[in-house]
Amino acid sequence: MSHITPEMQALIGIAGEVQTAPTPLGPDTLRRFTQAVMESDPVHWDPIEAERRGFGVPVATPLQPMHLFARPAGTPDTFERFQDKPDWDGMGGTVSKGLPSLNLPFKRLLNGGYACEFFQLAKLGDLVSRQSRYVELSERESSSGPMIVFKTETLYTNQHGEKLLRIVHTELAR
Amino acid sequence: MSQASNNAPVFEDLRVGDDITALVRGPITTSHLMRWSAAIENWHRIHYDLPFATEHDKLPGLPVNGTWKQHFLVQMMREWLTPAGWLWKIDFSFRKLDVAGSTLTAWGRITALEERDGMGYVTCEIGIRNQDGQESTPGTAIGVLPLQQGKVVPYPYPDAFASHDA
Repeated sequence: MSHITPEMQALIGIAGEVQTAPTPLGPDTLRRFTQAVMESDPVHWDPIEAERRGFGVPVATPLQPMHLFARPAGTPDTFERFQDKPDWDGMGGTVSKGLPSLNLPFKRLLNGGYACEFFQLAKLGDLVSRQSRYVELSERESSSGPMIVFKTETLYTNQHGEKLLRIVHTELAR
Repeated sequence: MSQASNNAPVFEDLRVGDDITALVRGPITTSHLMRWSAAIENWHRIHYDLPFATEHDKLPGLPVNGTWKQHFLVQMMREWLTPAGWLWKIDFSFRKLDVAGSTLTAWGRITALEERDGMGYVTCEIGIRNQDGQESTPGTAIGVLPLQQGKVVPYPYPDAFASHDA
């Protein structure tokens, strides 16, 4: 019996909503991120080095656009969920990818990995947007039972519509 | 993008099987994980709440975030390619947890070299291993380097080139 329904299959290839980060990439966001990833390239904080290398202004590391879609100011505090569910795992603080749910029959989700293509780096002041779509859905048998593997492609762009990077994320549900 | 500095890799001198410069980080402590979670606003408790990770989720410790490890691999490739080269593609899968307390090494080895479109394409096998030599994050990466007396690697890197899968 297949766990993949026609309704799930119908979602393949359909683009989700365009999402835009709540704020442009600011210097403090860039600084905190660069420090947390232990980046050593001054092009991420030194305007002179960024200019010398042809970027004009400090730039983000290639994958930072993935993390710019934080919960906007003024929206409900996700941590209020702890009041009703003290053992909540804390997931869900970031914005989802704007796609309809696949309504998977399995609860456990595993991160399978990423495939990324880079076109240019986000600059200080850029307002990043993204749009996702499901690109692949398959089923396989694992040692712990049936598993659904699905892939989501997300394209990140700047405020001029220029491509920054494309990411295909593989997730496994079982 | 600017031309190569003196210590940048020269495509014509590279050979299949060459190791690229590894990057070592660690020990990765709970403080590193908390700093990362705060920077990306990811509040998944398994990365900073030890009782939750070990008792509720039955994990062997606090897992080093996969999102941090992917940047670590990208950083390793970019440090090697910068400033004249461009990291075009990278992929990796999360096969094994690394937990807080680990010292991690991002490594790469050249598996293919190709001249195309007047530039040099370097394909690498990449991964992350812990202090015990256990591999957790295997993958591949493709970097683009200028050829000697060749053209500068374009920036932004054109998407049209993405159809030329190596």
